[in-house]
Amino acid sequence: MTVHEYPARRRRVWWLRNRRYLAFQLREAGGVVCALYGLILLNMLIQLRDGESAYAAFLNLLRTPPMLYLNVVLFALVLWHALTWFMLIGKAQPIQFTREPLPWKVVFGINVLLWIGVSGAVVYLIFGGM
Amino acid sequence: MHADVAAPDEVLLEPVIWSLFSVGGFITAFLLPVTLFLLFFAAPFHLWPFDPAAYGTFLAHWKEPLVRLFFFVLIGGSLFHGTHRLKFMLMDAGFKGPAAEALLDLILNGVAIFGSLGALYYALRGWLF
Repeated sequence: MTVHEYPARRRRVWWLRNRRYLAFQLREAGGVVCALYGLILLNMLIQLRDGESAYAAFLNLLRTPPMLYLNVVLFALVLWHALTWFMLIGKAQPIQFTREPLPWKVVFGINVLLWIGVSGAVVYLIFGGM
Repeated sequence: MHADVAAPDEVLLEPVIWSLFSVGGFITAFLLPVTLFLLFFAAPFHLWPFDPAAYGTFLAHWKEPLVRLFFFVLIGGSLFHGTHRLKFMLMDAGFKGPAAEALLDLILNGVAIFGSLGALYYALRGWLF
């Protein structure tokens, strides 16, 4: 008997078919943007080592209007990535403190509260407060 | 299969990469937004009483070990998380097959590993050596 292999065919822009797919793909893109910011932060440390003028030039470049507005778009993707990550925690790994697993919306709410608390701690412990 | 038989490389590497991806997801979700806001948006949009990214301000904070540890963890976590996502996005876009996957692993894991080591070097430099 001859066995034929039929590879699954899918359009490359499958994620434009509906809003749920698009939301998923934007989350994936947000994850990639996180790595891009990792490299930008690493470059920031390199410029810090190179002295005040190198550091200031790097910061000024990021604050030119085109870069600033590009950063706003990329930042929106990072925020979307964070929010959807909190949404999936309760679905991928249901936390079971009770007889029934907690609904994902409750887990999401707890994570958002934790996020606010952690962000406040970062403001004070890492950046010296307001 | 006996337990003492060496497992193929991908079986050993896969869980490590996925674990770093998952930890990186938590790190980026919790720590990256506030960090980016303070460094890149707070001052240009006049949303903060001072510029947290200004050279003197940032350099003063950078002397603290906790701040250095924070940036090492943040950079490493974001690189391992994002490069793993990029690998699967590129595979989804058509980069398939053992050779393409091996090339993606080499480049993307290389970026994550060397980027993290770079962050570790700058975190330790001027503090331990």
